[in-house]
Amino acid sequence: MSSTSNIHSHSHAASPDSKSGQPQGEVTYKEVTDTVLKMLEPPKAGWYLLLGFMLLLVGIGAVAWTKQILMGIGNAGKSHPIAWGFYITTFVFWVGIAHSGTLISAVLYLYRARFRMAIYRLAEAMTVFAVLTAGLFPLIHLGRVWFFYWLMPYPNQRALWPNFRSPLLWDVFAVSTYLTVSATFFIIGLIPDIAVARDRAKTTFRKVLYTITSLGWSGSNKQWKHFSAAYLLFAAFATPLVVSVHSVVSWDFAMSIVPGWHATIFPPYFVAGAIFSGVAMVITLAVPMRRIFGLQRIITDVHFDAMSKLIIVTSAVVGYAYITEFYVAWFSNNPFERAQFMYRISGDMAWAFWIMFTCNVIAPLPLWYKPLRTYIPFLFVLSIIINIGMWFERFNIIAQSLAHEFVPYSWGGYNFSWTDWGILVGSFGWFGMQMTLFVKFFPAVAICEIKEIMDPPVRNAGALGHH
Amino acid sequence: MKGTKAVVGVFSFFDDTLKAIENAKAGNYEYRVYSPFASHHLEDATLPGKSPVRFVTATGALTGLVSGFALAILCSMDWPMRVSAKDVVSVPGFVVIGYECTILFGAIATLLAMFHFCRLPDILRKVGYDPRFSDDKFGVVVSCGGEEVDTVVESLKRAGADEVEVRDAL
Repeated sequence: MSSTSNIHSHSHAASPDSKSGQPQGEVTYKEVTDTVLKMLEPPKAGWYLLLGFMLLLVGIGAVAWTKQILMGIGNAGKSHPIAWGFYITTFVFWVGIAHSGTLISAVLYLYRARFRMAIYRLAEAMTVFAVLTAGLFPLIHLGRVWFFYWLMPYPNQRALWPNFRSPLLWDVFAVSTYLTVSATFFIIGLIPDIAVARDRAKTTFRKVLYTITSLGWSGSNKQWKHFSAAYLLFAAFATPLVVSVHSVVSWDFAMSIVPGWHATIFPPYFVAGAIFSGVAMVITLAVPMRRIFGLQRIITDVHFDAMSKLIIVTSAVVGYAYITEFYVAWFSNNPFERAQFMYRISGDMAWAFWIMFTCNVIAPLPLWYKPLRTYIPFLFVLSIIINIGMWFERFNIIAQSLAHEFVPYSWGGYNFSWTDWGILVGSFGWFGMQMTLFVKFFPAVAICEIKEIMDPPVRNAGALGHH
Repeated sequence: MKGTKAVVGVFSFFDDTLKAIENAKAGNYEYRVYSPFASHHLEDATLPGKSPVRFVTATGALTGLVSGFALAILCSMDWPMRVSAKDVVSVPGFVVIGYECTILFGAIATLLAMFHFCRLPDILRKVGYDPRFSDDKFGVVVSCGGEEVDTVVESLKRAGADEVEVRDAL
């Protein structure tokens, strides 16, 4: 009897309505290996076109940034009274995108949610690349980017140290820790899968690449034992980071006295919003990847249903937060807060508020209807709508609040510039370029962990008992 | 592996692999198991008990906690300027720095501990490794002296090995 047939006969193959997230139908270990490694085969014209498009966007961003560096920060749209405008909005947007990666990879790992296995690698890659993108924005925002190292505490001849009481410095620590830990978690998880690719590499370049990056992983019992222990600990470290990073980002605003920012609700509101946008981005990426690489039996309806439910929950939380902000402004009887929130819904940038509310609260409501949670075209479009809404959420918080502070004399609007838009487009290109390269060079679906949730092949049924 | 020979058993079935491990243990042989994924069955059969990685992690995390607070406190005292009527040593504000450094140092310590205990990097892989062990086969590699090879081969076959190969141990 071959192992393959035995896997068939003994695997408790998941039915389409299974909640396990296990690959559907009679999937074998070999099929998992082959399906995922097929993604790494030499790219076709479509991939080069996509990469070329991403590079074009990066080029647009690079031109815009170079122009800003040469001509000065006045080239960007930010100006009095909105000194934090487009760039900080985009920074918070990308940090938010990063969040659900850690949620799916770490938090759901601790909860033993088996459905995460097929999508967590993609989500983790998204996290790392989104943080790498987000990290550029405070630097772009600085104007004189070459002085970025002034943010770091290092001994210097002026005997100056950064202000550790400032939330902006907390943010430097939070985001750099997040990048380090999430990148480590991501790379560690990749090692056993790179070893699978190494053992099946067909070209010398790939063989050398995977031999070096797999670090000589062999999958011995000793390695798996310490790997599993370390992986659990990484998940345990990454989980509080999910909560802390966006809380710290929210304190960049909430610690100030600006009406519309000074709110205790900000940390949970930001964390929920981040997870909301991140899950939407996972769907945006997973839908084309699943179709292009034929991963329908690995990334199944179960996964889309679970992600849709996460969207429903987080959409409800952000919707609740939006309404609470208005309630608190009214209930506090603070005239500045009241004026700020009236301005948001009826001022000259009210369109941004209504785009946000429609995209983030109204648009996800159809997901309560179960068939739509697995209707892929709808999910794909919705995921893009949500991320448009989430960008505008941050724009609302930042630009609208600064536009309408305490003194009417200093009220003003935001003048969008082509430099702003160019850099935003460039950031999508930068993120997309990294994702495009990643899916062709490294396993974008976790091979070993998918095998882990499949029932192992046994000669005698029941030999392992229930596990 | 201390023996002069490494007998490699290739298995398709998981329960057979566990049987081969029991046989190797019963014969008091040194052995190693290869698997395409982590399994608590294999861990229980071969290396029960907890991994020492956690102690290194805890040490790293505590070092991070102390370092984070120390960095913020010492830097503030070196430039003792009162900002926004806050204390020069503002413990609540420094909690964030301590918290982030706890996680950062803990994660780095975990990484180093994992590399140490997994013996990574190890580009020249272990004797007895077969590329099929990263796909759909399990491997049990038993170390023995030349005179015990036949017994070990027989034991692996009896457990249900698809193939058994004898290699020189290094």
